Amino acid sequence: MRADRIRLAWLLVALACPASASAQSFPDTIDAVAPKVVKIYGAGGLKNLYPYGTGFLVSPQGHIATVWSHILDADSVTVVLNDGRRFEGKVVGAEPPLDLAVLKIEGENLPYFDLSQTATAGVGSRVLAFSNVFKVASGNEAVSVLHGVISSRTTLTARRGVFEAPYSGPVYVVDAITNNPGAGGGVLTTWDGRLLGMLGKELRDSRNNTWVNYVVPIGELSDMIQQISTGKFRSRPKSDEDPEVQLRRYSAIDFGLVMVPDVVVRTPPYVDRVVAGSLAEKAGLKSNDLVLFVGETLVPSHRILRDELGRLEAGDRLKLVVRRGDQLVTVELQAPRKGAAE
Amino acid sequence: MARLCFGLLLVVTSVAAAAAQVPLERLEEEAFRQAAAVVDASVVRIDTVGGLERVGNLLIGTGPTTGLIVSSDGLVISSTFNFVSKPASILVTLADGRRLPARQVAEDKSRMLTLLKIDAVDLPVPQAAPRDSIRVGEWALALGRTFEGGQVGVSVGIVSAVERVWGKALQTDAKVSPVNYGGPLVDIQGRVLGVLAPMSPNEAGETAGVEWYDSGIGFAVPLEDVLQVLDRLKTGENLLSGLMGVTFKGESPSGGETEIDRVRFRSPAEAAGFKSGDNVVEADGKPVATLAQLKHVLGRKYAGDLIQVTVARGEERIKADLKLVGELPPFKPAFLGILPARLKSGETRDGVEVRFVYADSPASQAGLKPRDRIFKFGDKETPTADALLDAVGRVRVGEKTTLVWKSGDAEQSGEVTLIDVPDQTPASLAAPVLESAKVYPEDGPARGRITETLAAHNREYWAYIPEDYNPAQPQGLVVWLHPAGDTMEADVYKQWKSLCDRRGLILLGPKAEQVAGWTANDAEFVTDLIAHVREKYTIDPHRIVMHGHTSGGPLAWLFSMKNRDLVRGCSISASPLPFPPPENDPAQRLQFHLLSGSKDPTHERMVQSAEVLRQRGFPVSLPTLNITEGKYPSGEALEDLARWIDALDRI
Repeated sequence: MRADRIRLAWLLVALACPASASAQSFPDTIDAVAPKVVKIYGAGGLKNLYPYGTGFLVSPQGHIATVWSHILDADSVTVVLNDGRRFEGKVVGAEPPLDLAVLKIEGENLPYFDLSQTATAGVGSRVLAFSNVFKVASGNEAVSVLHGVISSRTTLTARRGVFEAPYSGPVYVVDAITNNPGAGGGVLTTWDGRLLGMLGKELRDSRNNTWVNYVVPIGELSDMIQQISTGKFRSRPKSDEDPEVQLRRYSAIDFGLVMVPDVVVRTPPYVDRVVAGSLAEKAGLKSNDLVLFVGETLVPSHRILRDELGRLEAGDRLKLVVRRGDQLVTVELQAPRKGAAE
Repeated sequence: MARLCFGLLLVVTSVAAAAAQVPLERLEEEAFRQAAAVVDASVVRIDTVGGLERVGNLLIGTGPTTGLIVSSDGLVISSTFNFVSKPASILVTLADGRRLPARQVAEDKSRMLTLLKIDAVDLPVPQAAPRDSIRVGEWALALGRTFEGGQVGVSVGIVSAVERVWGKALQTDAKVSPVNYGGPLVDIQGRVLGVLAPMSPNEAGETAGVEWYDSGIGFAVPLEDVLQVLDRLKTGENLLSGLMGVTFKGESPSGGETEIDRVRFRSPAEAAGFKSGDNVVEADGKPVATLAQLKHVLGRKYAGDLIQVTVARGEERIKADLKLVGELPPFKPAFLGILPARLKSGETRDGVEVRFVYADSPASQAGLKPRDRIFKFGDKETPTADALLDAVGRVRVGEKTTLVWKSGDAEQSGEVTLIDVPDQTPASLAAPVLESAKVYPEDGPARGRITETLAAHNREYWAYIPEDYNPAQPQGLVVWLHPAGDTMEADVYKQWKSLCDRRGLILLGPKAEQVAGWTANDAEFVTDLIAHVREKYTIDPHRIVMHGHTSGGPLAWLFSMKNRDLVRGCSISASPLPFPPPENDPAQRLQFHLLSGSKDPTHERMVQSAEVLRQRGFPVSLPTLNITEGKYPSGEALEDLARWIDALDRI
């Protein structure tokens, strides 16, 4: 009975959704999208650097958005359209923090994505990915299409070397294996052909050793694409200081915490002892407490705790969540004034 | 109630009619989202703190993983893979954001699942799809909760098969990986089909099947099966696969026969009176004609389960009730005390010619001498060394057996009482006589020191092939796995060159792809490289050895354990066993040689590693060395290692 109720629920929901896009199926969508995606051939060809990639047209005059990559190191690149026409492409501009480049070919009345008509999508949405993956397509062949769903909307963070990502920011993660050589710069669309984003490069998540098939949402890119295309381009200032060169200001002992010795890569951050009269003692921390969180950040090992404490500034509030037996205990401390740090 | 049902029915019909106007793609998309939404609240995120370091990048991820709530009072099931690092602390984050410490309650070692407990009440428990309602081809969604932001992640596929991995799992083409191991596989109605976990039909263990991640081949243990054993797991009881204690002749992927090869010592099968040569014809009430059918029956059974098995012995039928066990006393190989003569390719001898007799061994006590030829061991003819090894492997240490041999033309016989395989290799073992090729073929493979690229992987390796390598003379193969960041090529070449020349060994040095060390991809490279070398050179299958030093050790350990059909020896320097070893397997011989300096920081753990391996029945050599921290041994230590390799075909 319960099962029936659920089935009914989804049918109703399905109907409740406004039919914002014209009703079309995958084949119609693919016919409409494929001509806007181009194959790019450029520098590379040595070692593991493949000399091909993908881009997509964003203006009828031949502006093409793609990923910023070694392929563009050549003076000019070859752009091949869906119908086999070949063009010389020149780099108009690039924005490395977005891993974005814009090319221009000399053409007119070309099929293109209207960047004012893009979409966003949630987890579970059916998507199509178009790209020159492994340069399977050549000449007048259309690019390859992969089908999947949005697995997740998440944020790529380059912190702590978890990802050696060329881009950090919001992304879609897709359950199709979209990010392979040559696919970067391709497009992700909804099942009815609305542009969702640009396929990223191959990327490995070192935390669990899996490849991440990520797509940069078009909303992150379209302003910059338009600025570069119209020549009003100003490179975005880098906001974050490089965490590597950041000075470590605080460590556990500054709070009166003596941690167990850090002997292996994943030494759990247990408190060995608490210095009498210290901030830690006043806050109620005890020996054998296991530090789990600094603020909202999980600290799975001693080293990550050290990195997190190193980010603090004098006067910052420090919230720690520790495990004591089977209890989670939250304490708050204030980073002390420290001569050397100022 | 009846009226209500009728009302619902009307709505459904009209909806269905209207639905025809909406593209199928949209309806399906909405259905995916709904199905995921139904189970969403039961999917938890799991973080682990502390635990073992990673083995290169090989084994252990550190990222968050997933679990599934299975009782409203806080039981959470997850994949054992997620805890392989033996973390110091486990944290569960519920869908509503609450964070709770968790403890491990028990493991199902047959399905590779772990049960956790958190202190919480009124948790949402998902509905299980009835096992017999699951159809191949129906939609299946793999859910995980590991991405930043706390949302559930979804991958959509279909149920690709049922009753996989010997009846233990469903198969799906939804993407299954460490991102969602421990999460649910959900049907289109939002019922849970199963719990996602890495698995392999050919291997057991916590990491078996991980190499298939995101490949379109994923597995899930049916949730109904999990619920059936939940009460047992809840009490803290670990569940093990049920074993009869037999091996079969001609086990092969295509199936094989159900003829029993070996009956293990003190096993349920021995208690039932089964004998080598019996054919299993019925198990658990089901007729069985092939090994695959039998494995399907046994695969789902746990230790402690009762099962009725019928065997055929000639015309006779023997029916017995077996109480399956989780562990068997380890197989401990017995030792006669000889080395067989090393034959050239295609050469045969009458009986097994003796190359060397171990002092104080059963063979020497019986009076065997080099050049004698052994014809019979017990009631088994032994035309070849392999046949003799097999016959000896079927007799236990301490058992008496008759041996028949010829010394010159005189036939002799005597009784031998087999002993344990010795830990030491006699220093008196001289190198075998090697004949160099009279004329080396012009197009023969390169000899001496070479550096080449393995085309299929575009990866470099180096090797040393003895200068007078003779294709007619099978060579041992030593695969050197260097420490991270240092191939040690010049040093290792210098130390090994003359050992290789004298003992007939090819030294093979694959190079790690990344300076940081060996990764999972490298195992495949090493496999292919060994196959490549075996194609070019004549390699003695009894003397293929993995040799790793410090951070090269973990891959050597893992590769040896995972490639039991290939590797016969594993020699490790200054790198303790990173995971519990599998059981010794009489059919796939593997011997260990550990090198550790008495002052090494890892020395104590190396000694423990040797002990653990011995408990599992493996022969282990652990010479005492005086080398300083992290240094690669030289001189006599390597001479001893080369002798050990030379004696890997000992019987």
